[in-house]
Amino acid sequence: MALQDYTNDMFGCSRCSLCKWIPQNQVKSWRFAKGCPSMDRYHFHAYSGSGRMIMGMSMLDGRSELGDAVAEIIYKCQLCGACQVACMAVRDDIDLGDVLLEERARCVEEGFLLPEHMEFIESMKREDNTLGMRKADRGNWAKGLDIPDINLERVEVLFHAGCRYSYDEDLMETVRNAVALLKKGGVKAGIAGRDEACCGGRAYETGYQGEMKKYADDMAGRVKASGAAMLVTPCADCYYTFKYLYPKNGISLDVEVLHITELADRLIRAGTIKPKRAVPMKVTYHDPCHLGRRGEAYRGGWSGENKLDRPIRFKQSGEKGVFEPPRNIIRSIPGIEFVEMERIREWSYCCGAGGGVLEAFPEFAGWTARERMEEVASTGAEALVTACPWCVRVFQDTIRETGSSLKVIDVTELLMRSLGGK
Amino acid sequence: MISKEAVRELEHALGAEFVSCEPAVMDGYAYQPTHAEILGLETKWCPYRPVAVVLPHTTEEVQAVVRICNAHKLQFKALSTGWGIWNAPGSDNVVQIDLRRMDKLTIDTKNMIAVMEPYVSGAQIQAEGMKSGLNVHMVGCGCHASPLASATSLMGPGCSGITTGYSPRNVLGVEWVLPDGEILRLGVPGQGNDEWFYGDGPGPSLRGIMRGTLGACGGLGVFTKCALKLFPWPGPAQPKVEGVLMDAKVEIPGTHSSFLCFLPNLSRFADAFYKISNAEIGYFMGKHAITGALLAGCMPRAYKNLVKSETVRSILTALQNTFVIILCGRTQREYDYQHKVLKQIIADCEGFMLNIGHVPLLHSMLWWGFIRNSLPPAIFRAGGRFTTAFGGFETIDQAVFQSKIGAVIKQELIDSGDMMDDLADNSWGGLYEGSSCLAHQEELAIFDPREPKQNEGVNKYIDKAMEASTKYTITPGIGFGGGGAVPHMLGPLIYNYHHWLLQIKETLDPGNSADPSFFIAPEAEKEKYLRDYARRRPQVARLVEDILAADKKRSDVP
Ligand SMILES: Cc1cc2nc3c(=O)[nH]c(=O)nc-3n(C[C@H](O)[C@H](O)[C@H](O)COP(=O)(O)OP(=O)(O)OC[C@H]3O[C@@H](n4cnc5c(N)ncnc54)[C@H](O)[C@@H]3O)c2cc1C
Repeated sequence: MALQDYTNDMFGCSRCSLCKWIPQNQVKSWRFAKGCPSMDRYHFHAYSGSGRMIMGMSMLDGRSELGDAVAEIIYKCQLCGACQVACMAVRDDIDLGDVLLEERARCVEEGFLLPEHMEFIESMKREDNTLGMRKADRGNWAKGLDIPDINLERVEVLFHAGCRYSYDEDLMETVRNAVALLKKGGVKAGIAGRDEACCGGRAYETGYQGEMKKYADDMAGRVKASGAAMLVTPCADCYYTFKYLYPKNGISLDVEVLHITELADRLIRAGTIKPKRAVPMKVTYHDPCHLGRRGEAYRGGWSGENKLDRPIRFKQSGEKGVFEPPRNIIRSIPGIEFVEMERIREWSYCCGAGGGVLEAFPEFAGWTARERMEEVASTGAEALVTACPWCVRVFQDTIRETGSSLKVIDVTELLMRSLGGK
Repeated sequence: MISKEAVRELEHALGAEFVSCEPAVMDGYAYQPTHAEILGLETKWCPYRPVAVVLPHTTEEVQAVVRICNAHKLQFKALSTGWGIWNAPGSDNVVQIDLRRMDKLTIDTKNMIAVMEPYVSGAQIQAEGMKSGLNVHMVGCGCHASPLASATSLMGPGCSGITTGYSPRNVLGVEWVLPDGEILRLGVPGQGNDEWFYGDGPGPSLRGIMRGTLGACGGLGVFTKCALKLFPWPGPAQPKVEGVLMDAKVEIPGTHSSFLCFLPNLSRFADAFYKISNAEIGYFMGKHAITGALLAGCMPRAYKNLVKSETVRSILTALQNTFVIILCGRTQREYDYQHKVLKQIIADCEGFMLNIGHVPLLHSMLWWGFIRNSLPPAIFRAGGRFTTAFGGFETIDQAVFQSKIGAVIKQELIDSGDMMDDLADNSWGGLYEGSSCLAHQEELAIFDPREPKQNEGVNKYIDKAMEASTKYTITPGIGFGGGGAVPHMLGPLIYNYHHWLLQIKETLDPGNSADPSFFIAPEAEKEKYLRDYARRRPQVARLVEDILAADKKRSDVP
């Protein structure tokens, strides 16, 4: 697909501007009614979902040209998907999120590249990860964990850590906790260690669509060779890539894909693990975009002409993302007081890190995180619980910068505290 | 064209970050497809692109922008949400003022007033108001639009009007940057009082001049603040709502329920409206052709198939004269009373009613969808767009008459295959100001702009609606009211209202710096506007020539 294949979607836009807000049914206050970080930060209509579609039409109609300024607007967007949810509440014929992806692909095709993105693309090509780290060190996070290596034995479950968890030292405890959790639950999981590679999702999202293919094939091969019937990841970005981007591009992994929170929730509900230790804390939960609305499995595959006739079941409206499992886990922990923010589930507000924004526009990422942290503060929660390493990263950085006393905790870590550690 | 000097001054006044002359950015304001067909315009790109877009944050910044525009002989046009063709620049030298950064809101609970800046949405005011038992009037386009824009600048009907009035009446005071940059405060603020608690007298009330019936659509300057009257909300402070729209699940108070009322014909339908208006019952009430927009919005695909079956068609047609009414009692006794009165009225008018409260999921979706006013944009689901005609504020009989003519015109176009089949009568409208019997009915038509045939059909519909309006001397409504040329054409046929508009425009804006393109073309530009319009709508060419000839004759008289 290319941008011009979405002409009808773009021309479907009525410019109503619903894409700038959370779905209207859910507006609970003046303060937290808006839904699009890019629009909230930069304000011109061009930064909204609608404005981005109009820019697309404008370029295709030859009214304006793709240049550095336009490319910058295109990339100043976390691809968080909030606009698509708000739009799809009243429309069936506009795949807004896909238009945004195609605009980025066009930037790459025409050579409007951001140096920060090229840096991680280079790193992917060289070292199979987005963080500029050495491939040889990829499995170091698992040192001493006594977890099977799929290169040496077949396993039931393949655990895919993802780039950030593999290398970000601040987050390694979380991924090690996730493995400990699997062990406690009796899950026979293995890892690929240094042979694990990036899922390719970030490349696709930043417009380097072709790059993902190589990683997807690689991933499929690894899953097959491992003998696993299930692929589990603690990374929301990887999860989205496996659940949406791969199938959308015709790539099948042929196994059940779960986020670690989904598996942990299953284990708790089956009684295999029991959170017993009280964790007296007031917490709120931040839905990562790539696990929540964008973690919704690909519903496509419809090949008709006119999207007005497309059956609803194909509509990627986000409500079937992963929302309950992390909440179930939190609720299962004794002593926890769980409070919700106003913008949650598929109308959650982004953390700021996605879509290549953290790398290219760190100020904008931080601005978005601060906006979200104000919402956290309004609940009186002392800790923000989430389930994505990118969210944790940007929140932690922002806390450090602002001197906030807020704690950020990954949900698996919280669960492990209640399960009594490793 | 805009000079570098002007851009530099704008940047100096607002900060470079808040001024853009980037073509792709400005195209975000040159794409106004919704209701463009009303003016015979292309539904994709507007004829003009702004020369710059600016984002002021304060009244002083707006003032600075207006003064810079005046100094450089540029025109300007403000927008709040910016949804609809009336936001489009009307010439090739317009600076678009996007008021998005002006979004403050205060609610004065004691005096039941909201004071807001332009970019505050209906949903935001409602959410805050409900916490203190108050609600705001919102217009039919949805709750994400700006009540300030509606109250100061364009139309104003919405379906809670039976209890919340309608926008032009609810505005109590404004802060207004006039076309020359002077700031005018109307209402109590005009008395030098910092509070906004009262509208009419002792301060000057010039609402008629400020906006008239339809609103000046940016043609008289920029409104930077206004105070709106709020109304009691007899419901929960924060309704517990799950879901985003069609999937809504809500806890509805036991003293609220929604009813679909079916009347045997339009005459009995009008009777029921009169009786309900006089009985002062109901919180929300509007004609939502259950067989048209409502059904098409809720189940667009099924709907298109349903109308193909003769049997289903006959049932739907029989049920066409429908309205929705929501009764909200503070107490069970109050609710019971209202329910009893409603039953009696419907029985007297030979109709029947369904209590949607018995269908919990549907009730959730409709109750909150209507109270929150989130449901209206769902009309876009069936075709991607819709157009509208008629819809002037009128007595109930006259409003119903308008919908009737609309349906006749549409039926012809449906029969000839020019328009999407929505059973012709797809009107919507409500009652305003309780027992005043003031109403409006617009005749909507759903279409898909991506289908050339449907685009043509919709244009034919507007042409015919225009003809009918002049034939029957129908008060202008949103369906055709706008456009700088239109008052010059319709004015002579309808009480010469254009004389007043012209005087207001030329007195307040002698330099014509506030883009008049959706208000009224000043005398000096009248011919240009009329000829432009005639080019887009050839069937009015004759009328235009007559008007211009009459003007010439008048000016030839020594
Ligand atoms: C699908 C659809 C349905 C609609 N249904 C209704 C309806 O049922 N009832 C009704 O009353 N209207 C209706 N409208 C018309 C209109 O959108 C509404 O009146 C709405 O209130 C306008 O709010 P907004 O924030 O969208 O205004 P905008 O679209 O931003 O502006 C509307 C007009 O007012 C001017 N304007 C806006 N803000 C200012 C300001 N601060 N100072 C000076 N000028 C300003 C703009 O230039 C424009 O001409 C409908 C519009 C659409 C697109």
